[in-house]
Amino acid sequence: MKLNDLAEKLSLRNLTLEIQIKESTCVSKGHASDLLSDVLANAPGGSVLVTIQVHMNVIAVAIHAGVASVIFASGMVPDQAVIEKAISEGLPLYTSKESTFDIAGQLYELGLRGGHG
Amino acid sequence: MKRILADLHIHTALSPCASEEMIPQAIVRAAIRRGLEMIAICDHNTAGNTAAAEKAAGKDITVIAGMEITTAEDVHVLGLFPDVWVACTVSEKILKTLPEMQGSSKILGRQTLMNAEGQIIGMETKMLAASSAFRLSDSVNLIKRHRGIAVAAHLDRPSFSVISQLGMIPDDISFDAIEISGAAVASSRIQEFYSFGIPVLTSSDSHFLSDIGTCCTALEILEPTFNELVLALRGIAGRGCSVA
Ligand SMILES: [Zn+2]
Ligand SMILES: [Zn+2]
Repeated sequence: MKLNDLAEKLSLRNLTLEIQIKESTCVSKGHASDLLSDVLANAPGGSVLVTIQVHMNVIAVAIHAGVASVIFASGMVPDQAVIEKAISEGLPLYTSKESTFDIAGQLYELGLRGGHG
Repeated sequence: MKRILADLHIHTALSPCASEEMIPQAIVRAAIRRGLEMIAICDHNTAGNTAAAEKAAGKDITVIAGMEITTAEDVHVLGLFPDVWVACTVSEKILKTLPEMQGSSKILGRQTLMNAEGQIIGMETKMLAASSAFRLSDSVNLIKRHRGIAVAAHLDRPSFSVISQLGMIPDDISFDAIEISGAAVASSRIQEFYSFGIPVLTSSDSHFLSDIGTCCTALEILEPTFNELVLALRGIAGRGCSVA
């Protein structure tokens, strides 16, 4: 599924409008976790990460794990410095008022699967 | 210079997860029996029993007033302070940001404030098991502003450590030391912790009397005081620390 379409279907707020997302950017995997050690170890490459973890390290860890985009759940919004770092790294960030559980459920319905799915 | 043994992470009965047997006098006695000359009292998000522990210790052993802050990211950070007064000043700021217990001590555990003799002088009403509103960087700054020592607690553990929560030590945080558990000391992972270039401590994180001194740090210092501990961590004038 195209990342742009996914963001629209879930009514996500784009925190990194400066990033031009390529039309061809597609995602088929997802991961939900607030422990960045778990993200490093288990997030599938090219996946969408759903988290309430807004620490600066989320950007470095997401890049390292090859995560394609991060969705902050429960209305969490990271500091501007985190957003700027994401922009400089070309990592699209979104936020949603909905909980991790509900976002993950919607992603699943759209056909995304976890690392073992 | 002399070599002393220190266990710098011990909970009292004030921590909801610690045993009721962790009363100041009993902790001090157990520590002396195990050959320790310095201990630090570090309850979750409070320094409420540090005065009692210091009094119980008298001149027999040095008690450092500390606390184990749970940051907003669920990271445990130890703050070790020059004295009880400073520790309690920091503790007040942390406690203000915690939710009230509202009768959940049956599930979460009792939070007993004690005097040196171990008599109960009150119950902490804030939920000490909760995370404070202070983020990791704010917590470390708060500790340092109060001339404290900031330690990344149980860095090798899969929960509540900087690495478990944040994947790596953030660039903008400068810890004075990292703490690893006895299990990590005995494992091949120990080199991984030395590679951070930060002094490595090992402490028991005691929740029971029998835990005290099961692993500890050796300090090369002139006398067992807070100032000497600071100098040992910086390796000044022949002082130093090593896992024991
Ligand atoms: Zn801890
Ligand atoms: Zn502890």
